[in-house]
Order: sequence, then structure tokens, then C-alpha cells
Amino acid sequence: MTDAPEPVIRVDRVSRWFGSVVAVSDVSFDIRPGITGLLGPNGAGKTTLLRMMTGLAATSSGTVTAFGEAVRNNPPLYRRMGVMSEHETVYGFMKGREFVTMMGRLRNVPDLQNAVDRAIALVDMADAQHRPLDTYSRGMRQRMRLAATLVHDPEILVLDEPLNGADPRQRVHFKHLLHTLAAEGRTIVLSSHILEEVEQLADTMLLIVNGKLAASGGYRAIRAALNQRPYHVRVMSDAPRRLASALVGLPSVDAVHVDPDGALIVLSRNVLDLQVELPKLAQAGSIRLHRVEPLDDSLESVFGYLVEK
Amino acid sequence: MRSVYFLTIRQLSGRWRLAIMAVLAGLPVLITVLMLRSADATSVADFESTVLGTMLAGSIAPLVVLAIAAVAFGNEVEDRTLANLTLSPVPRWQIAVPKLLATVSVAGPFVGASAMLTAHMAFLGEWPATIAITVSTLVGVAMYASMFVWLGLVSTQAIGIGLLYIVLWEGFFTGYVSGVRLLSIRYHAIALMHGLDPRRFEADQHVSLVVAAVVALAVIGGFLALALRRLRTMDVP
Repeated sequence: MTDAPEPVIRVDRVSRWFGSVVAVSDVSFDIRPGITGLLGPNGAGKTTLLRMMTGLAATSSGTVTAFGEAVRNNPPLYRRMGVMSEHETVYGFMKGREFVTMMGRLRNVPDLQNAVDRAIALVDMADAQHRPLDTYSRGMRQRMRLAATLVHDPEILVLDEPLNGADPRQRVHFKHLLHTLAAEGRTIVLSSHILEEVEQLADTMLLIVNGKLAASGGYRAIRAALNQRPYHVRVMSDAPRRLASALVGLPSVDAVHVDPDGALIVLSRNVLDLQVELPKLAQAGSIRLHRVEPLDDSLESVFGYLVEK
Repeated sequence: MRSVYFLTIRQLSGRWRLAIMAVLAGLPVLITVLMLRSADATSVADFESTVLGTMLAGSIAPLVVLAIAAVAFGNEVEDRTLANLTLSPVPRWQIAVPKLLATVSVAGPFVGASAMLTAHMAFLGEWPATIAITVSTLVGVAMYASMFVWLGLVSTQAIGIGLLYIVLWEGFFTGYVSGVRLLSIRYHAIALMHGLDPRRFEADQHVSLVVAAVVALAVIGGFLALALRRLRTMDVP
């Protein structure tokens, strides 16, 4: 028996292709209450997947349901969902409060003015609510868009790259707000291409790479998987050959190669151990380390490793 | 419905757009004034054919409506704000109908005022003619509006396609190929003018008032249905 809550959103064998380009390929997962982070490099298919999860785009095959109902062409369901897309365009001629009020009215929110007050207060925008949207900074626009997404008190929140344009103070506020909303039992899905961002926010992660679900689960499990990947590390020192001899004896090192320019290229499957052992070796051999840098630490290469795995 | 209607009114009421509409709508009035002041008398049939048929119903009305209707949905698609509406728990017709009504509300006064002033001056204050021309022109506005609102939803090139339609279809083919006239909004607007005041466009062949009215309703309803279908099936950007 498991005491995991029932899935709120179910994505079942969903694919989406545009002509010969496959944007999302046979992806299945369940989303339960709490915060789920959809993580992947730019162009991985996160936005396409989110658009299908909200009914904005059709699936080429497979189904997406929320609360057991199809999300596509199901306007009554949208009363229970709040969606903030990645596009930041707003009705610039409207004042912030007008925009949130209109969104509340479209969603038949009872006691509208109080709901608008509450939503604007949640995003800490009360002071700027009477200014036109086109006078807002990018971060302010995002916050007012979030208020419009929250005005009808939705049970599901889908947020595509919500921290774009937010300054550090706004990020802290946003994270606190999302944790509060999740603690109230809401189901929150957010996407990001920044691992640390999702790590700090989400209880569960879904890694999307090249339109496929590369990994899913708690962030610790995914972090552990990432830490086991082979890394190439470039080491500059004043005695590369002596350092290479010492390094090959380490269990964390798989291979060492000396470049013509004197740099060592170290292949390691346990980069955490290498980080500890390398300075010790250098100190023991009186070798001066000039520079240590990972060669393939881009998000794409990290995700690519998980897909190949 | 009210929210979408007033939102669209505000979107369509840009100062420059309204100024251009006013200039376009003023042209038939200006031409009529010049004709009335001219020493060479223009025949009623010539005036009806040139100013009311070709200029007002076939050019000015569709151009004014195109400039407004094509962006009713077109701007939402281009700015990617349409999701604000389609993710609302309201039936799709409560999005499409107010968009169409707002388009007619903005374009109607310009074209209607132009038709009324033109007819009133040309027919020396004769109210039956003025009312017939104004009402049938406004029905034409509604027909063009439903077509161009739909066009703005299906194509990002709605203005260009609409211009081609006005020039080639309404202005050229239907003027020279008699059978094609039945598929012309201008033709049915003129048939309505004749139906409401039989002395107008007396020399031409027309469908009856009832047929013209039914066609007008079919055009408005048909393109509205296409817009609703498009809203249901499209991938919203």
C-alpha cells in the first residue's frame, strides 16, 4: 500500500510532432499535489508539453487528463486551472489591477474585488496596481501576470519559466509564495532550464531532453545520477606529467591525457572525490595548480548523459 | 462576454487606426460634395454605380472593416495573448461573438455615418433612400466583419489576403463575371439597398430582399461558425 495522493494530472503516452520534427515523444507521467519541476535545456520540448497539459495545443497521440477529464476543449475545467505562459506580452494599455480584474471576471470569480485585492497582495504588487502594464519592469509584469493566474484560486497552477526577469528579492518572494500555495494542497507544475532553480522549488522533477522523459523523481536521486556521470576536467599545473602519474592511481579517475599545451584532461566518474583528492595530490607533490575547469558542464551535456544512460 | 467586448473595443481603438478610418470614410462624402458642386450633372445611375456600389460598398466598407476586423483576433494571436481568453471557463462563442460585435461597433459608425451623409446629400434629404443605403451598408459591414474576423484567426497575413480579396474578388471578378456576383458581399449589399428602396439601382438585376437578407445572415453565421471551429481546433500560441 502507498499513501501517495492520487494523481491530479495524467500524461499518458503523449507525442507531438510538427511535420517531420518530433517535439515530444511518447511521454508518460503522473503529477500529484505539491510542486513538480519540469526541467530541460532550451528546445527540449518543455513548453510544448506544458501547452498540451493545459489544452492550448493538441497532442499528436496520447492523452492528457486533469482530475480525470480531458484538458483539451474543456472550458469548465479551466475554472480549476491557472496557467502562466512563457510569453510576457500583456495588454499594455491596461492598468495592472484592470488586467487582474478582467481575468477574474472572465473566470466568473465571486466577490471579485476582494479576490483581486488578495491576488495582488500575494504577489506584493499593491503599490503598482494602478499603473499601466506597459510601464512595468519585466519582473513586475511577471508578478502581475501571476496575480491574474491566481485570482480565481485555482487548484492547478501551470507556470512556464515563471522566474524569467525576476530579481533576487522577487525570486525569494516567489519561492516562498509557491511553497505556501503548495502547502495548501495545490498542484503546481513549473518549468525551467535552470537546475538549481527547480532544485530549490520542486518536490519532484521531470527531466525532458530531446522531447523524451529522461528521468523523474526527487531531486536528490537526479542529483546523484548527475554526479555519477563521467566528467572531463582540464587541469593546468606547473608539472603536468608528474601530476598525471599521481592522478591515474586515484579510484575516481578513469583516464588522464596530456595535451600538447601541457594541460591535463582528466576523465572522472566521481567528480566529488576528484575535487577532494586533486588538491591533496598537488600539495603532497609540491605541484602548483594554475587552473581547474570542467569541460562539459553545460546543461545540455548533463541532460544528454541522462538520456544516453 | 462584456469583458471580451470591452477589451476588444480598447484594442481596436488606437488613435492612428481611427484617424485612418475617418479619412477613408470621409472619401465618399467628399466625392459626393464635389459631384454636387460640379457643373456637369451626374446621372443617378452613374452615382449609384460609382459612389454607392463600387466605392462605398465595394471598397471603403471592406477596407475600413478589414483594418479593424483582421486585428480583432490577429493581434491576440501575434502578441500571444489569446491564451488569456481561451483558457477562460467560457464557451468559445462567448469569445468569438463579442470580438465580432466589437469589430462592428468600431467600424459601423465610420461606414454608417459615411453612407448616411453620402446618401442624404446625394438624394437631397430623401429619408427612404438614406435609410435604405445606410442600413444595407451596415449589413455589408457585418458580413465583411465576420469574414475578416475569421481570416484574422486563420492567417497571420490576414490584411494582405483581405486586400487581395477586396481588389480581385469584389473589385474585379464579380464586376465582370455575372454568375460570380452571387458570391459577392457587395452584390448582396446592393441587392439590400434595392430591396429596401426599389428606386435605387433600378437598372440592375438583383436577388430579392428576402434572399439578400438570408444570404447576409448565412455569411455572418457561416464565418462565425468557422471562427468558432478554428478556436476549438487551433493550437493557441
